[in-house]
Amino acid sequence: MEELFTFLETEGVSAPLLEAVRVFRKEHAAASEQKSRIPVPEYYYYGKKTWELALAALLAGKNLLLAGPKATGKNVLAENLAALFGRPMWNVSFHVNADASYLIGTDTYNGQAVVFRPGPIWLSAAEGGFAVLDEINMAKNEALAVLHAALDFRRAIDMPGYEKISLRPETRFIATMNYGYAGTRDLNEALTSRFAVLDMPLITGENLQKLISRRYPAIRERICSQLVKLYEELEKKAESAEISESALDLRGLLDAIALMDQGVLSGDALTMCIVNKTFDSYERGLIRDVIEARIPADMTREVVFEG
Amino acid sequence: MIKKQFSENARRARNMIWNAAGRYDFEPPFMAYFPNGTPDYYFDMMIGFAEKWLDMQRLWDFFKGYEKDRRAAEWDELLWLGLENALFEKEAPERPVLEELRKKRGERFYEEQARLSRQQMEYQSMPVYTQQEARWAAVCGKKLPLLTPRERRMAEALRFSGDLGTDEILAAMKAFLETFFKAGKLSVDVSVHKGGKLASLFLRHEHRRKDRFLVRTGSGEGDHARAVSLGHKGLGRHTAPDEEDEAYVRAVFGRSLLSDEERRLLTNELCMEEDADCRLWMTRGEAVDESFPEAREIQEKRKKQEARNDAYVKENAAVIQNTVKSLSSGIETVLSTYMKHLPEASRAGRLCPEKAYRLPVLQDGRVFLKEGEETEQEFFVDLLLDASQSRMNSQEVLSAEAFIVARSLTAVHIPVRVTAFRSLRGYTILEELKFPTRSDCRGLLRYYAGGWNRDSLALEALGRLEDDPALRGKQRILLIMTDANPNDSTPAAAAGQFLPREYEGAVAVKEAEKAVRQLRNRGIRVGAIFHGNTSHLADLHQIYGHSCVRIRKASQLAEGVSELLLMMLREIRTD
Repeated sequence: MEELFTFLETEGVSAPLLEAVRVFRKEHAAASEQKSRIPVPEYYYYGKKTWELALAALLAGKNLLLAGPKATGKNVLAENLAALFGRPMWNVSFHVNADASYLIGTDTYNGQAVVFRPGPIWLSAAEGGFAVLDEINMAKNEALAVLHAALDFRRAIDMPGYEKISLRPETRFIATMNYGYAGTRDLNEALTSRFAVLDMPLITGENLQKLISRRYPAIRERICSQLVKLYEELEKKAESAEISESALDLRGLLDAIALMDQGVLSGDALTMCIVNKTFDSYERGLIRDVIEARIPADMTREVVFEG
Repeated sequence: MIKKQFSENARRARNMIWNAAGRYDFEPPFMAYFPNGTPDYYFDMMIGFAEKWLDMQRLWDFFKGYEKDRRAAEWDELLWLGLENALFEKEAPERPVLEELRKKRGERFYEEQARLSRQQMEYQSMPVYTQQEARWAAVCGKKLPLLTPRERRMAEALRFSGDLGTDEILAAMKAFLETFFKAGKLSVDVSVHKGGKLASLFLRHEHRRKDRFLVRTGSGEGDHARAVSLGHKGLGRHTAPDEEDEAYVRAVFGRSLLSDEERRLLTNELCMEEDADCRLWMTRGEAVDESFPEAREIQEKRKKQEARNDAYVKENAAVIQNTVKSLSSGIETVLSTYMKHLPEASRAGRLCPEKAYRLPVLQDGRVFLKEGEETEQEFFVDLLLDASQSRMNSQEVLSAEAFIVARSLTAVHIPVRVTAFRSLRGYTILEELKFPTRSDCRGLLRYYAGGWNRDSLALEALGRLEDDPALRGKQRILLIMTDANPNDSTPAAAAGQFLPREYEGAVAVKEAEKAVRQLRNRGIRVGAIFHGNTSHLADLHQIYGHSCVRIRKASQLAEGVSELLLMMLREIRTD
């Protein structure tokens, strides 16, 4: 994980904070059987200030709520944090039917007796993991009430009929939530108050350029800058609600570059990974217009990449 | 000929302009189209770049300065050719693809020319054609046309450099017109900043007409003679409502329940195709601006109507009470059949004690209960009231009937939201008269009639209002009290059609039918309570199918609505 530390040092993230993380890692080294759960990030999160705020909150023992529009790197940051702190990670995807048993655990029969099958929250608590509560605002507030005691000063999970367990000191909860997303809503006050809320900024053009160049070092700079500008233009379009957020897809842009790397023509790659992400033909037209006004459709691998 | 571009094409052109300008907070004053009505994206981009690099307002003023001259259209086209060169040079370093797009635009010029008939060729302005050909031949690397010395000087003069700022470009434009067209007396002052818009062949400028919101001045006793009627004013060019309309709607109907952003999202989602020139306004009738003279007048009339509705309910209290009682018991009976919730046996979940013995005895692990696929049927009812002017002579009756339906549903603990809708000045206004979580139905007495009714848009909009917590996990039922006669002053726009069609008759019925079908596809049950003329019965069935009931008087409500619900719930069961 030294590579991630080096990356953060290069990005200028506060040295004392990074030192504190090293101390945390030393004091709470993961057991060998947990190692497979420690994520190895494919992408690094860019944004010095956000990193510093997130590190400070987690070091202070707080839970973190990463709130922001789509494609701001919430999940990338959550994964990076678990990796940096060297803790096993459990990903909990929330949906409208998520209930207490899905989160904490449920009874089942093991052939001889009724036993408790722990859920991801229980496992994070017992093993000192980082639980990533993905799209937490998609769940019903009633379902989230079971998390209250785990998230506040009590740091415990009390399931009726089972023993009460206390959270290991390393346990942290990192929730993510999209706003402005159809079908989601605000969290209730009781839950929000248990998190330090970090507003995730949109990725800057400069950081996006860095991110692409790091992942695809051979990409030509002028092409990379046009792709960054294309992304910014789509971002503006989504912000002004002319297109839906589904087309604003950072992963899609990176995937398109990956396809170009495989020899797919630029137009086809962008169509597959960005235009076709939306299923509304009118919206597709708008997105296609923006792409055509920025990126030629017939760029081959040799035009996009060096060597 | 100036053609009004509707819906998708216009929005795509606008989007192209905004994208090129890098801003979305302005309404483009100019838009470029090909003769067949499709957007000329390259020139739309140029308009965007003009906004980005130059002072668009001053350019506007310049174009406006000569708009009355008979050669204005010709000059527009020539000057935009000049601007194209400057803007291309400014933008190209930042946008390498532009060179390729420029070539494509050049090729398109030749394709367009090839398509023109001899007659169309004759209508073309020769100076414009020559200059365009000179420009695009150079861009596409084709053989340059033979030019006279004057034409060559013109072509040279129209290559405005990318280094020029707004002042220099304006000076160059002025010099061009003076030199080649002897436009010495141009009423153009390049240094003065004036407001104004340009309408020309090349750049289309939109007009709209206004309708006033009218409320009844009659007594409410069915005296048609005194009721005010709205008439279609003939098909002119028509555009989406502007800021003035929005201010009017806000002042008269109260502030919007949705934020600007939410409203924009909803508009983008719903105001498409035939509804492209419409906007939506959700309100609770709060914060009406009485400093607005019309708003005050209308408020007074509304209050009078509310008093009449109230008096009617009081006068008929006994009948209303009875109907509420029988309707609520009818609804209860109907619903009780559909409210069974069956948990499912499973190998994990909550242990079911009475089945636990099966584990050791039968080795049956399915002794746990989990929430089954078949969940308890819970309902949320939307009651949508047509509040257009056609209901003017039965406002009290309709208000009382809506009151009965809402009261009956509330009595059996079914959340019901009541919304009245009407359209005016391109806006379809949905006014929430009763909140779903409150049992108080007196808000329904605020019902009054006036304006048009664009049923399709109102239905679609109501279908999208899903954020209410009372709605979560519930089966949605939408009951509309209607006369099955949709009618609006904003025409039905349609892509690919140059002439708008009135939103009335078969067109409007088809639109409403489409809206109902879409709602049903999304799992919302739609049923109609019909109060209208027999002549509209066929339309009623076309729009709502079998899910409708005709009510002639309040006493029929109990039986009619129970039957309607039963019919709709059967559909749910069979899904």
